[in-house]
Amino acid sequence: MSDLDSPSVPDLDGASSVELRTSASPALIPTIRAVASDLAARADFDLDAISDLRMAVDEACATLVDVAAAESSLLCTFLVRADRIEVHAVVQTDSADTKVSTDTFGWRVLQTLADDVALEHGGNEDGTGSTVGITLTKHAGDLPR
Amino acid sequence: MAEPATQGPDASPPRTAGALGTEVSHPRPDAALLAVTGELDTLTAPELDTALRELVAGPHPLLVVDLTGVTFLASSGLAALIQAAHRAEDSDRALHLVVTARAVRRPIEITGSEQLFTLHSDITTALRG
Repeated sequence: MSDLDSPSVPDLDGASSVELRTSASPALIPTIRAVASDLAARADFDLDAISDLRMAVDEACATLVDVAAAESSLLCTFLVRADRIEVHAVVQTDSADTKVSTDTFGWRVLQTLADDVALEHGGNEDGTGSTVGITLTKHAGDLPR
Repeated sequence: MAEPATQGPDASPPRTAGALGTEVSHPRPDAALLAVTGELDTLTAPELDTALRELVAGPHPLLVVDLTGVTFLASSGLAALIQAAHRAEDSDRALHLVVTARAVRRPIEITGSEQLFTLHSDITTALRG
């Protein structure tokens, strides 16, 4: 079963969660990144971290919408924890052969913005229900680098 | 005295919310100033790219892009700016950017692209070249 079919978020372990399901359209990404920014601001992220999360979520969603199947959905789940926000975004793709390239300027920017970022290709063996997802984590303040 | 109008009455009509605004003016005879307002993301980057191509294709020695009115800058918008800087460099010109907001400064800084542009914190300094 793909993430898009699961009815609710997993065990939250004290985190609060927000799920956003939109059409997989670039026109809705401004709404998603506005939610990300709002959550970070309310979680007392520092200004750079708010800015970074907003950009990272934009970048991740733009990457996924680009490969999403026509008329499909984008599901974004935000887990707000004490010191960080974890974001998982996933779309359905037409086939399991649809891959996201990590050899792009956008992906490099995403890696710089997020404290942790991972790409997952999922789906069934026969290629049905294939998905691509991105998980990213942003801490409330600057981590020592 | 008002600047000569650079957009005729048949200039592009107002667009839906979130769309990009681009306006070219010539505050000095040797300068071309592109003022950009709105959010620079995958939706609006093509429009920015077109405006930047026109700016750099022009003969003006001093090229200034005023990003004061930009409230969001994604990698797609930044990529358009970087390409424009490279094209300007081909004709031995610098691309001067006016950057005030964190939303614009932050992506430029974290990608290390500051050295590709000449950055200014206000338009007056930028127009001095």
